Amino acid sequence: MKRSKVMELGVGLFMLAGILGLVFLGLRVSGLSLERPASSFELEANFANIGGLKPRARVTMAGVTVGRVQSIELDTDWYDAHVVMELDGSLEDTLPEDTTAAILTSGLLGEQYIGLSVGGAPETLGDGDRIRDTQSALVLEELIQQFVSNMAKE
Amino acid sequence: MIDHIVRLGRWGCETLERLGDAGIFLAQSMFGVPSAEGVRLWLRQMHFVGVMSLAIVLVSGLFIGMVLALQGYTILVDFGAEDALGQMVALSLLRELAPVVAALLFAGRAGSALTAEIGLMKATEQLTSMEMIGVDPLRRVVAPRLWAGFVALPLLTIGFGVVGVWGGQLVGVQWLGVFEGSYWGNMQASVDFVADVGNGLLKSLVFALVVTWIAVYQGYALVPTSEGISRATTRTVVYASLAVLGLDFVLTAVMFGGLS
Amino acid sequence: MTDSPFVEVEGLHYSRGETSIFRGVDMAIPRGRITAIMGPSGTGKTTLLKLIGGQLTPDAGRVRIAGEDVHALSRKALFRLRRRMGMLFQSGALFSDLDVYENVAFPLRVHTDLPESMIRDLVLLKLQAVGLRGARQLMPAELSGGMARRVALARAIALDPELILYDEPFVGQDPISMGVLVQLIRRLNDALGLTAVVVSHDIKETLSIADYVYVIADGQVMARGAPADLDVDRDPRVRQFVHGEPDGPVPFHYPARDFYADLLGAGGPK
Repeated sequence: MKRSKVMELGVGLFMLAGILGLVFLGLRVSGLSLERPASSFELEANFANIGGLKPRARVTMAGVTVGRVQSIELDTDWYDAHVVMELDGSLEDTLPEDTTAAILTSGLLGEQYIGLSVGGAPETLGDGDRIRDTQSALVLEELIQQFVSNMAKE
Repeated sequence: MIDHIVRLGRWGCETLERLGDAGIFLAQSMFGVPSAEGVRLWLRQMHFVGVMSLAIVLVSGLFIGMVLALQGYTILVDFGAEDALGQMVALSLLRELAPVVAALLFAGRAGSALTAEIGLMKATEQLTSMEMIGVDPLRRVVAPRLWAGFVALPLLTIGFGVVGVWGGQLVGVQWLGVFEGSYWGNMQASVDFVADVGNGLLKSLVFALVVTWIAVYQGYALVPTSEGISRATTRTVVYASLAVLGLDFVLTAVMFGGLS
Repeated sequence: MTDSPFVEVEGLHYSRGETSIFRGVDMAIPRGRITAIMGPSGTGKTTLLKLIGGQLTPDAGRVRIAGEDVHALSRKALFRLRRRMGMLFQSGALFSDLDVYENVAFPLRVHTDLPESMIRDLVLLKLQAVGLRGARQLMPAELSGGMARRVALARAIALDPELILYDEPFVGQDPISMGVLVQLIRRLNDALGLTAVVVSHDIKETLSIADYVYVIADGQVMARGAPADLDVDRDPRVRQFVHGEPDGPVPFHYPARDFYADLLGAGGPK
């Protein structure tokens, strides 16, 4: 009887360790956060070129992550990229209407993400609104091309 | 010539028949009403199959994480991208190495033991005598082992992943000097809980099903002699390993391949 | 004698692969008696027990226990019927992960809802009957072959079955434990009035306790009768078996080609 108690305890600890491990994988490794508020709101933006932006990429403001890219699809009216972002609910109705969104790269070869920078307009952006002022991703080939053609002009 | 075709046909029929037999075996043993007694038996098998395999799985996980960090660093540093070490270690562990290596170790450590144990019970007529007492050995002997395997392997896989990520940190951050913030930060930015951790766990659940099923069936269906037991044990490890690696390709293709 | 037989076997045919093992076996096993089934090894005596216990299904023929056709029963009904049977296996077949006490308690725990104190009483009673009450906390691996078989016997009678099947109970036992087992089987039968089937090829011991004997060979019943009548039977195969003659109708040699030709024959199989 005593041996089976120890055994049951061992199995219990084993399962507890497994669950704790899963929590570790969730919080520490995949960066889920417990205090993430249930509330969030969506903003849309159209970019002429998104480069290598992927769904689930970060959306930052002054370097602080405030949301994620939810979906990317081709807008067939304008033939540009239609990006939907999901942002922290506490920012709803606080961002000015003339906020700009730019696609940035972390480091030279790092992931691409969206950086938001605020403007000064009195009206604010609510759920489902569109950011008009956007800046496309820098594509290395285009930069080089520009550089070369500038050189040729001189 | 005709002989060969006949043999091929017979082999095909026999393989199909065995597969069907194994399927019926699985269905009959899995779907029973669990009782208090069943829970106790399951606990004992969890101890045997899970807790006893913990040490080997954790030690392997630690070393694999450390090796990944070491190898990854030497490659990434050429591109000045050693900051991405955390992401590389975590993704390769969670998506691929933890489910597969844990399943292979599990097949070798627990699977072969399950086969041998059930085989020995069969050889010493314990299964038959249980049947004569009026107890279904599928319920009493096989079912607790199957369920223990299903639960234990995903838990072991989690343990493998955690220890591996920590081992990578040990080598990458403490030893090779990758900045700790970028190790964890890049990892958190690139690992998605559902897509990476979830899919890895799903893989290990599939592997758990297949490995335990093969192990228990080989034990139950073996020829009850000492030679039969040793052969079935070998078959368990070989079949289970092949099944894990083959299925891993299929699952990876479905989960990560081609889909952005 | 008693009324209708407890176990009836009618026209039993069974074959494993290409070899046919039984070709029309008929038996009637009377209630409350010890019936012995004897025959040379390899004649399928154990198979016969498995057919009676419903673990194997015959190709043709029927086995009826207490009027119920064993092989027509559903899985559930079969398990219910088996509660009325006990079986003693050749190797004892004790559960190696349980100690002696738990082995005997196993059928009680599975099939009854008795309180623990009652189970304890019953287990000790059965262990006392086989003389192993003092060995209750030993594991099966610590028992000698004879003791293991006695524990298995205690387990087989734990539920007070009506029918008990003994598979080679005397094989590989030293004279003392053989004597103990012979006595136990006889005494259990007299005390509990159960129906017993003993499968064996140990002639002397079996004949000393059996009330009725069947001799099977070549897939058929060769002789039947009370032990006293059996010796005078005229069938040469039965005589060879009972007297233990090495060669006779049941040949000493496994079928082979001519010895002389085999020795000289070059190029044959090794």
